[in-house]
Amino acid sequence: MLKELIAKSFEKSPWLFHLNTGSCNGCDIEIVSVITPRYDAERMGFKLTGTPRHADIVLVTGPITSQSKDRLIRTLAQVPDPKVVVAIGSCPRSTNVFNGSYSVEGPLDKYVPIDVSVAGCPPKPEAIIDGLAKAIEILKEKRRAMK
Amino acid sequence: MKFPYLKEAIKSAFKKPSTEPYPKVNKEAPEGYRGKIKYYPEKCVNCGLCIRVCAPGCITRTIEKVEEGDKVTFTFYQGQCTFCSLCADFCPRGAIELTKDYHLAVTDPKDLIVSGTFIKKAPPKPPVQPQNQPAAKNQESNA
Repeated sequence: MLKELIAKSFEKSPWLFHLNTGSCNGCDIEIVSVITPRYDAERMGFKLTGTPRHADIVLVTGPITSQSKDRLIRTLAQVPDPKVVVAIGSCPRSTNVFNGSYSVEGPLDKYVPIDVSVAGCPPKPEAIIDGLAKAIEILKEKRRAMK
Repeated sequence: MKFPYLKEAIKSAFKKPSTEPYPKVNKEAPEGYRGKIKYYPEKCVNCGLCIRVCAPGCITRTIEKVEEGDKVTFTFYQGQCTFCSLCADFCPRGAIELTKDYHLAVTDPKDLIVSGTFIKKAPPKPPVQPQNQPAAKNQESNA
């Protein structure tokens, strides 16, 4: 019975980890504004954590630069399964305007399958909330599949 | 005894919450917001200016030869788009529009693709002019 309670509450409070892989800070500011009282994703149970080990959903921003590539792989390895990777903005999806640069080693799906991608440069906070709602559904499915 | 913020506290207790009720109430983007791309293939003339001005190179064009002319397909991949609206500004026919729709969170990247196809008819072939033939003959005789 306790396990059921944990499973139910797990779905209602997914924790986010924000991973910047060389972003221009546009998408990062939009993520922060999702957490502020105006858009308040915390009323849906989302909470930013400081460590990847507590996270359920990873928000990746930025094209993967050569400097951040190793750190991206190391950080994603620390996130416990089931995890959902959300690509915020066009950069992790396709490296955007940085395509072909010598210092960019993206896109993100070279390294990890992207579950949800939110397009926009940067996306509106409402669009990020949409993306997070989709991420929860995927998280539920993944958790059921693991049992 | 003083209560410095008592007035503010009573005022705010009867105010609406400042949080936007977004998922329940849909919020419209402000005027001039550059969101989802809309492409009108019937207006397009296949000049290719949008491809030249696109910084990330998200617009691709494929041309197939068919009987009536050229079958032109423009594909906009919004996963690579900067939403700068340069393509819409430079389009001489207004065939590209950036709408106010911002709901671009998808699980399948194929949903981010906007494409349109049209057939560009080849210009009619000019009729063979009979005057050219005697002119050619004259040239031959001169030579």
